[in-house]
Amino acid sequence: MERHISQRFDSDLEALKSQVLEMGGIVEQQIIDSVKAIESVNRPLAEHVLEVEDDVDRREVLLDENCTMILACRQPAASDLRMVLSVTKMTRDLERMGDEAQKIAQMAIALSDDGAAPGGYEEIRHMGALVQKMVNSVLDAFARFDADKALDVARADTQVDREYKSAMREIVTYMMEDPRSIGRVMNILWALRSIERIGDHARNIAEHIIYLVKGYDVRHTSVHEIEKRLNKP
Amino acid sequence: MNSKSGYNRLFDPMAETGQALDFSQHGLGQKTVGNPFSVKAKMSVRNLNVYYDDKQAIHDVSLDINRNEVMAMIGPSGCGKSTFLRCLNRMNDTIENCNVNGEVTLDEQDIYHKKQDVVPLRARVGIVFQKPNPFPKSIYENVAYGPKVHGLVSRRAQLDEIVEDSLRKASLWDEVKDRLFSPGTGLSGGQQQRLCIARTIAVSPEVILMDEPCSALDPIATARIEELMAELSQNFTIAIVTHSMQQAARVSSRTAYFHMGRLIEVNDTRRVFTNPEHELTEAYITGRFG
Amino acid sequence: MRKASHKSSTAKVPSTIDLVNRNLAKRKRAEWRFRVYGIGAILFGFICLLILFTDIISKGHGAFFKTQIHLQIHFNPQRLQVLQPGAIEQFNNANYDNVIQDALFADNARISPALLSAVDKRQLLSLISTGAVYSLRETLTDSPGVLNQSVGVWLTVDDDVDNYVKSLAHGGEGYTGRLSQQQQSWVNRWIENGQVRQTFNTTFFTSGDSREPEQAGIRSALMGSLYMLLVTIGLSFPIGIAAAVYLEEYAPINRVTDFIEVNINNLAAVPSIIFGLLGLAIFIGFFDMPRSVPLVGGLVLTLMTLPTIIISSRAAIKAVPSSIRDAAYGLGASKMQVVLHHVLPLAMPGVLTGAIIGFAQALGETAPLLMIGMVAFIVDVPADLMDPSSALPVQIFLWSDSPERAFVERTSAAIMVLLAFLISMNGLAVWLRHRLGRSHQ
Repeated sequence: MERHISQRFDSDLEALKSQVLEMGGIVEQQIIDSVKAIESVNRPLAEHVLEVEDDVDRREVLLDENCTMILACRQPAASDLRMVLSVTKMTRDLERMGDEAQKIAQMAIALSDDGAAPGGYEEIRHMGALVQKMVNSVLDAFARFDADKALDVARADTQVDREYKSAMREIVTYMMEDPRSIGRVMNILWALRSIERIGDHARNIAEHIIYLVKGYDVRHTSVHEIEKRLNKP
Repeated sequence: MNSKSGYNRLFDPMAETGQALDFSQHGLGQKTVGNPFSVKAKMSVRNLNVYYDDKQAIHDVSLDINRNEVMAMIGPSGCGKSTFLRCLNRMNDTIENCNVNGEVTLDEQDIYHKKQDVVPLRARVGIVFQKPNPFPKSIYENVAYGPKVHGLVSRRAQLDEIVEDSLRKASLWDEVKDRLFSPGTGLSGGQQQRLCIARTIAVSPEVILMDEPCSALDPIATARIEELMAELSQNFTIAIVTHSMQQAARVSSRTAYFHMGRLIEVNDTRRVFTNPEHELTEAYITGRFG
Repeated sequence: MRKASHKSSTAKVPSTIDLVNRNLAKRKRAEWRFRVYGIGAILFGFICLLILFTDIISKGHGAFFKTQIHLQIHFNPQRLQVLQPGAIEQFNNANYDNVIQDALFADNARISPALLSAVDKRQLLSLISTGAVYSLRETLTDSPGVLNQSVGVWLTVDDDVDNYVKSLAHGGEGYTGRLSQQQQSWVNRWIENGQVRQTFNTTFFTSGDSREPEQAGIRSALMGSLYMLLVTIGLSFPIGIAAAVYLEEYAPINRVTDFIEVNINNLAAVPSIIFGLLGLAIFIGFFDMPRSVPLVGGLVLTLMTLPTIIISSRAAIKAVPSSIRDAAYGLGASKMQVVLHHVLPLAMPGVLTGAIIGFAQALGETAPLLMIGMVAFIVDVPADLMDPSSALPVQIFLWSDSPERAFVERTSAAIMVLLAFLISMNGLAVWLRHRLGRSHQ
């Protein structure tokens, strides 16, 4: 993008962007760690995820403050305004992702206390990998202001939803097989649910990126419609 | 309800709920809120009162301006902010019926002292006006005028150097270096204002006062001047009066809000524009009156 | 039914644009009339000016030419009463009338051999200007070798002959005036013989006033006017600017300055003859200065132009934008630097325009000069400020009163010279304003 006449405005926006990416990086690591903690029954790793959460919360507050400052002092317009607005929303989604990762970590701790569940780890690994890739892509899309890549993320979310449904059915059979393991299986189920929620947040972020880059508000529309919208000249 | 003025109702969010506040309770006549004082003040003003004949334009204002900061003064028209600014280098002396009392110091020296000559004072505290007002002379002459008047240079080469340096600092050099000897009035409005800034810098003042420097300029020229202010604040102390609160928000590190000749609030600009302490400040910057 | 009534109601209430259109033609006519009034006013002024100029030029152009006749002059030492040949000083006191008489008789004898009566002789002599002797003296002084020789010389004729010849040249009967039948026939004969010519009237520019129109010139008056103008410029310009600068830039606003301002404005409206009386009382009465001298005239005109210059200078200084003053003060310039570097240079075009118009007014002023005795008959060209002199407008006034017909054209010619002066001064004002204005923009 062209530079602003006010170089300080440029540097403010640059700083905002890199802060979002930093926060995203931490959240992404949280997700990776929590998924790993649950599948490898690694309690210290899970506890580490919980510790990092404070940092994520602090970053969210700081980012919001910076956005407020930019809105108050720089009166951004057009793409700058969309940038700041998107960032406020994205930080919220990132923070929620962090919360979900925290929940997964808590499930990992519970599972390490109660003993392993009879199954579902495969689903967790599979969906975890999918979602982690989504988060990675969506941050990449933000870094490059790449709407097409963001659209890919939105597409991937429908796949995650499908996987989640089939995993549910799978896990329900475990419960029916061995009612004593319901408590542990429920932990797996909650973890899966959190992973699915992370996917939803990633999709939200992708939508914010599309709004930021193209200026279209694509929330509450299907991927198909988004595609049509983006491919319009 | 009857005691409450209509003016008050205009900006008082509580008025509709019936919890009317008396105007005096809004802080007029009270001490300034925020932090007007500082330990590393370049200029400090104590209990300044200014009168035009019998009309009091400034009521008991105390304020410190820090070294190398940009201090913005905002407020509705006629709130005394320009009068206040002009007190800082005694430009009010040229106004016949203007009467100033109180203490204004520059590096702890009283500038209203009997023995203080305005000529060296204005060399130390320069001023840029609302309307770009280059002299009807060449660009070079405009910038060279201050150094010449004060006898800062003895040789032409030195003068050339000062002119170039000042124009560079005012980020105008590249635009005018090929036509230094064409009239300054032939430049565009924004260039003229930057020429006026260069002219002020040429005397190497310590403080630069700016009286609504962008009100006659288009947004692009305004942005360039604002960027320039940010650069200049590294070497100079800047006090700027502006009608545009957005401008104050963009350029300043501290903001002072004036209202009816009184200094209502002084705070960090971020604070003022996100969470002002005083309700009058809030009402003004949110556009509820003014 | 309903529809119809609806329609009629809309017809009753015409729309705004209908009303506008209805009045449009009327408005256009009014616009046109308004413009025609303006053009009419300009045309009126232009025609008046044209009539004035045509009148003055048609009457006055003749004065720039004089009539001369060619005579064969024999510089006879006996008749000249030059007794010692070679003594040049004697030429000043020589009797040139005698040789002119001889030449005229000899010339006339060739035309009509009949003997002339005494009356005829006197009539014949009066055809030549009394000033012709001076041109003969010059001829002799310049080249003493012509003594005792016969030389062809062009001599200026008397104003009556001049008028007659010029009117003949315009066709018709010719204006005879005081010329007798006999004189006319002589002149006619000269014209037939080609002895008469029209030449540029240098006398008009080189000599002072005279009772004889053909010898009268404007030199004395012109020099008097110039000296007065010098005194006026030298005094009223610096005094006027200094006063204006002080009043505008330094003086406090109080009752005293208000009083001064009102009085300056009043003085500008005082009739000029009052200034003449003032000059008479102060400079001549109190200071005991001589009458009729350009110095006193200049002082009186200074008093008269000062209010004009002060008012116009103040207006010009006031018109200097205060932003320029502020800028200079803001840079730390002192008051004097602000005035000298910025205010005065910017005000100068206006100051100069006002001053030059004031000077032009002074140049054309008669009334105050009458009061201080500059209405005297001055033949000599003044050499300095203390020599008695006349002034151009006073000279015009004097000539317009003289009975000789030849003075009519001289009056008009002097008016032309005065107008030329005024126009060139105004031109100077315009040029200065343009030039100074450009150098400051």
